[in-house]
Amino acid sequence: MEGHLLSISGIEKSYDKGRVRIPVLRGVACDVGGGEFVSVVGRSGSGKSTLLNLIGGLDGADAGSIVVRGRDVAAMSRADLARHRRSTVGMVFQSFNLIASRTALENVTLALTFGGCPRAERKTRAAALLESVGLGHRLDHRPSELSGGEAQRVAIARALANDPLILLAHEPTGNLDSATSEEIIGLLSRLNRERDLTVVMVTHDEEAARAVSRRILRLLDGVVVETVELEGRGAEEGSAS
Amino acid sequence: MTFGDVFSLSQANLWRTRLRTFLTTLGVVIGIGALVSMVSFGSGMQRNVTETFREHDLFRTIEVLPGGDGLERTAGGDLESIRDVRPLDDDALESIRALDGVEIAFPEVRFPVAVRLDGEEAKTTLQAMPAAMGTSKPFDDLPYGAFFSSDDAPAVVVSQRVLGELGIAIEGEAEARRSAADTLRPLAADEILGRELEIVTSVLDEQRIVSGIATGGILSGDLPLRQEVVSLTIVGIQTRPTGFQAMRLAGGLLAPPGTVEKIPRIGFSSVWELLDGDGDGGGYPAIHVRARTAGDVEGISEEIEAMALNAVTLSDQLDDFRRGFLIMDTILGAIGAVALIVAALGITNTMVTSILERTREIGIMKALGGTEGEIRAVFLVEAGTIGIVGGALGLLLGWGVTRIANVVANAYLRPEGFAAVDLFHLPLWLIAGAVGFSVLVSLIAGVYPAGRAARVDPVRALRHD
Repeated sequence: MEGHLLSISGIEKSYDKGRVRIPVLRGVACDVGGGEFVSVVGRSGSGKSTLLNLIGGLDGADAGSIVVRGRDVAAMSRADLARHRRSTVGMVFQSFNLIASRTALENVTLALTFGGCPRAERKTRAAALLESVGLGHRLDHRPSELSGGEAQRVAIARALANDPLILLAHEPTGNLDSATSEEIIGLLSRLNRERDLTVVMVTHDEEAARAVSRRILRLLDGVVVETVELEGRGAEEGSAS
Repeated sequence: MTFGDVFSLSQANLWRTRLRTFLTTLGVVIGIGALVSMVSFGSGMQRNVTETFREHDLFRTIEVLPGGDGLERTAGGDLESIRDVRPLDDDALESIRALDGVEIAFPEVRFPVAVRLDGEEAKTTLQAMPAAMGTSKPFDDLPYGAFFSSDDAPAVVVSQRVLGELGIAIEGEAEARRSAADTLRPLAADEILGRELEIVTSVLDEQRIVSGIATGGILSGDLPLRQEVVSLTIVGIQTRPTGFQAMRLAGGLLAPPGTVEKIPRIGFSSVWELLDGDGDGGGYPAIHVRARTAGDVEGISEEIEAMALNAVTLSDQLDDFRRGFLIMDTILGAIGAVALIVAALGITNTMVTSILERTREIGIMKALGGTEGEIRAVFLVEAGTIGIVGGALGLLLGWGVTRIANVVANAYLRPEGFAAVDLFHLPLWLIAGAVGFSVLVSLIAGVYPAGRAARVDPVRALRHD
């Protein structure tokens, strides 16, 4: 596992549903190198969202470890988890999760505020980030005034605000039409290439995943049932594991 | 995240829901307004009493009463013990005058008299008051005329009430304006000052007693009394009741002691004079003492007590007043506090509602790296802001209410002849305390919602609609 940016091993996670304990992840393990684009695919309920929440420090594992740059997220205190979410990872969600009352610029500056960016620099940096995702003309628009694709671009700009090591994308195209989905996937791919940014994407859209990922993990009932290694974007050269 | 960031975030949140924020703050404003006006009323009452005492130099005043063990035994029913009571005679007076810090000590001499002016007659009391008392309130600035120049001047200071009983109203005073005073004859004060007032007293008529004994007539018919008349010049007029009356120091008429002594009258005015068997003078009901400074009062009182006499000071009475005012302030404050507690529940309710509405937003803030402490701080600052703004506006409201109430109260009091008075007092401690209390109560009201916000599970919150 040496040299990997993210090392996951033996992750177990269950939820209580009434009196029944339902296992969601059962011994999941994988390594992700720096600058890799890894997609996690699987049916609904396979555990892929939970895995992303655990990597993002939004939730805690029952067992196992998630080591990012030598630090085990699974063993972090709540304060350390907040720091992890603030500066180590950036998250993009299916439903964008923008604050409706704030403009595009303000949504991005909020992330910079939590990240400790000096007040004087926030607006400039937020504007530059929005510019980099093609939204320089939408700075003062609220989410309700943006299209789905534009809202997701704002969310991506916000996720990049504090220069994270890993971008975690949860169904980033789930609420978008196919043309817009292609644009967003293209944007994520560009960020991966140009910034050498590690991306872990959870998606239903296997075709899109194959188009941009170097590796695809297939989850079924909380277990990684297949790892597909792809030689270059678009190429299919898989191997079952 | 700096405090400035937390502050900006919370202010933005409050502004976003400004109608709700306004209504919640209004609750605090009313609560603090009620608290401030109630407590400032209590404080105003206390200040007015204390100021009256101070204005009239009552803090320098000691009333000496007969004392000793005999007094308690007499009060307990042992009437024989009255002979063991140390009377207030001239020896006692001289001993008191000799004490360090005593500026003036004079005996209480007062007796009933009839007065005549322009054919009208009225009954009142005449009291001896040394000219030296004219150097301080309330005698140094009589509304009309001046106090006596010496202790044997043939002068008298009359009260407006006595003049009223003589059918005279002073022009410009409330009594002269009132329709009920139709029967009074208005006279300018200058027309009253300088007039001779006849003081009529009764004395024993020895001739009638002697002839009565001879004829046996003393046992029937009128008392063997005859009237003596002394004329004194009216030099001053007192118009209003003063705090001095509480100390039995201002009767209907005041005259210098030397003059009073020369007025013929029945030989005693109190039981103490009867007890003064040796006839060397004295046997006064009370001796009034004025100390040079208020600080001398305690020492003088102790020395008077050591003479087996009773010393009553206004400080003792003021302590009782203060206790009473403290109880009143507490009750008034508690009534105001109830309004504030209701407002605090409003804050909690508003914030809990706000958290439910903002659950997803809280989840987003957590996903972006907001710590529990930062999220708690945002909500506490929101509550604190409601407290500060509500407290400040409540203070303003309370002050406004007291000003209006004061105008209304004075509009009723003035025609009754009372001087304009500020019934309310807003001391600095109340200003600071009201705002501080408002912030404290608001913060306490915000603790639960803020804690609840801090504990929001981000995974669930992000799924929240």
